[in-house]
Amino acid sequence: MSDIINANPTILNPSDLPTRHSESRKKQSTSAHIADKISRLPPSKSLSYDPFSSAEDSAYSSGSASDQDDDDETADDIDEQEIYDLISTISDPEHPLSLGELAVINLPHIHVTHTPPTPQNLHPMSHVLVEITPTINHCSLATVIGLGVRVRLEQALPPRFRIDVRIREGTHQSTDQVNKQLNDKERVAAACENETLMGVLSNMLATCK
Amino acid sequence: MALKLVGSFPVQPDRVWCAAPHPHLPLVATASTDRAVRIYSLRDFSLVSTIEGGHKRSIRSISWKPNAKGESVLATGSFDSSTGIWHREEHGTSAGGEQPLDSNSEEREEEEEWRFAVVLDGHDSEVKSVAWSAGGSFLATCSRDKTVWIWEDMGNENYETIAVLQDHSQDVKMVAWHPEEELLASSSYDDTVRLYKEDTDDWVCCAVLTGHTSTVWSISFENNGHQSRLVSASDDQTARVWCRKPKVEEEPSTQPPSIIKGTADETENWEEQSCLPKAHTRTIYSVDWSKRTGLIATAGGDGQIVVYKEVDITEDGEPPNSDSGPNKEWKIIAQVPAAHGVYEINSVTWCPKWDKQGTKTDGELLLSTGDDGIVNIFEFSL
Repeated sequence: MSDIINANPTILNPSDLPTRHSESRKKQSTSAHIADKISRLPPSKSLSYDPFSSAEDSAYSSGSASDQDDDDETADDIDEQEIYDLISTISDPEHPLSLGELAVINLPHIHVTHTPPTPQNLHPMSHVLVEITPTINHCSLATVIGLGVRVRLEQALPPRFRIDVRIREGTHQSTDQVNKQLNDKERVAAACENETLMGVLSNMLATCK
Repeated sequence: MALKLVGSFPVQPDRVWCAAPHPHLPLVATASTDRAVRIYSLRDFSLVSTIEGGHKRSIRSISWKPNAKGESVLATGSFDSSTGIWHREEHGTSAGGEQPLDSNSEEREEEEEWRFAVVLDGHDSEVKSVAWSAGGSFLATCSRDKTVWIWEDMGNENYETIAVLQDHSQDVKMVAWHPEEELLASSSYDDTVRLYKEDTDDWVCCAVLTGHTSTVWSISFENNGHQSRLVSASDDQTARVWCRKPKVEEEPSTQPPSIIKGTADETENWEEQSCLPKAHTRTIYSVDWSKRTGLIATAGGDGQIVVYKEVDITEDGEPPNSDSGPNKEWKIIAQVPAAHGVYEINSVTWCPKWDKQGTKTDGELLLSTGDDGIVNIFEFSL
């Protein structure tokens, strides 16, 4: 990354960014915790066959003693703002700024859908769609940024979430190509076993709160 | 009709990519992200062996060699770009190969006996799928490096690369052999399925199946003597059935034999016959066409297992016209939502049902493997 791809990006003031973060909110992972989780990817999820218990056993509650409050979390309290808080603090791979500050991640471009349980399916999935806006339309790091967002959400969200990460329509010259890669489970799994790439992602995610 | 959960194999610590039943013993091997192959008994669903140490990254795919005499042979494809060949001698299995693996001490010994015999190197990136041909003489492998390789077993643990097929323009997801012919199929991230066969000395692409609008994750041939069909499953959330059209009889000896004609003879005409009824709402990762019952099963990211059956169309009670053949359609006969709770399903595989004594029954089981590290066992009850 010796050549800076976008040397002069537009930067938003952190205090203007939407957030629900506060000191009292205790589900924040330390950066060491995140780095540790990255280093042993893919995550060791709860293997209990009871989906109720596994749904609650997200990475929020794995390994940290300070998050008993997650236990009262119900299916529908993860909303767009919470997703934004999880991913807007990811660092850009080439600027010392967060994806929120660079407006790569924007609250209106996050969509969360919860499906209510039915008698036929007691364990419905939830769905999150994140559309990212690269700072310039030929940004070659779009795939790395997208992968960082996907890995962060896979680590942090309960397993019932299906995650789609896409480049926002019209903001990149090879949108379809990048989208197909980012949503190919096998490629993402293989990328997560690539130490060089995981080193880059680990640095990006080290600033997550 | 219903697909009933009858059991599960002991839980694994990580994602299970796929499962493969042994060609003649009551055993199933699974491939996992934790780099281990686990072998389970189909008599009592217990863990028989865990084979580790051969691969540096996830084991993505696994295949038993058919017709291996006096031993069991496994091929494993890994994200570490290599393919492994494993051997284990079979004791006292000459009479039908159904020797029970009874006591714990014997099972311990079984573990010791698996031997990592050969590493097949050649692919530039992750190996996504491995498959032995029906006769066991060829092994096909495919990779993110866009190629399909065919290896010939030369005996004495020697394998020779006899073809490197570079017809796909992207990541190749799966390879599968025809159940009788030496005809190979591959499916790809480039949205196509390709078929290959040997033309004099070279393996060549003899058909391209286009129609899917996204990655084709999985393919499976039908086992039916008089016709050849293939089912494919895709990220476009559809599964399609393709049929080989009979060759048009050529005018005899109007032209002298030529190289060009020779090549033309090798092309095959495959057409999309039908699209299975839509049931999935996320990527379909796996499809398997039962070689015994003719049923097709699919599973995918939406956590559902769906089973389809081909039925005769009888309009207004009239019997189907037997002359025109394709008066048939595919119907969904079973659907299991949340077959692995909230987790995604990576594969579905039909396999024979065995009784506790280790005798094969007429029944059939459906195995599904999930991101939850679980292999579920379903039985289809009428």
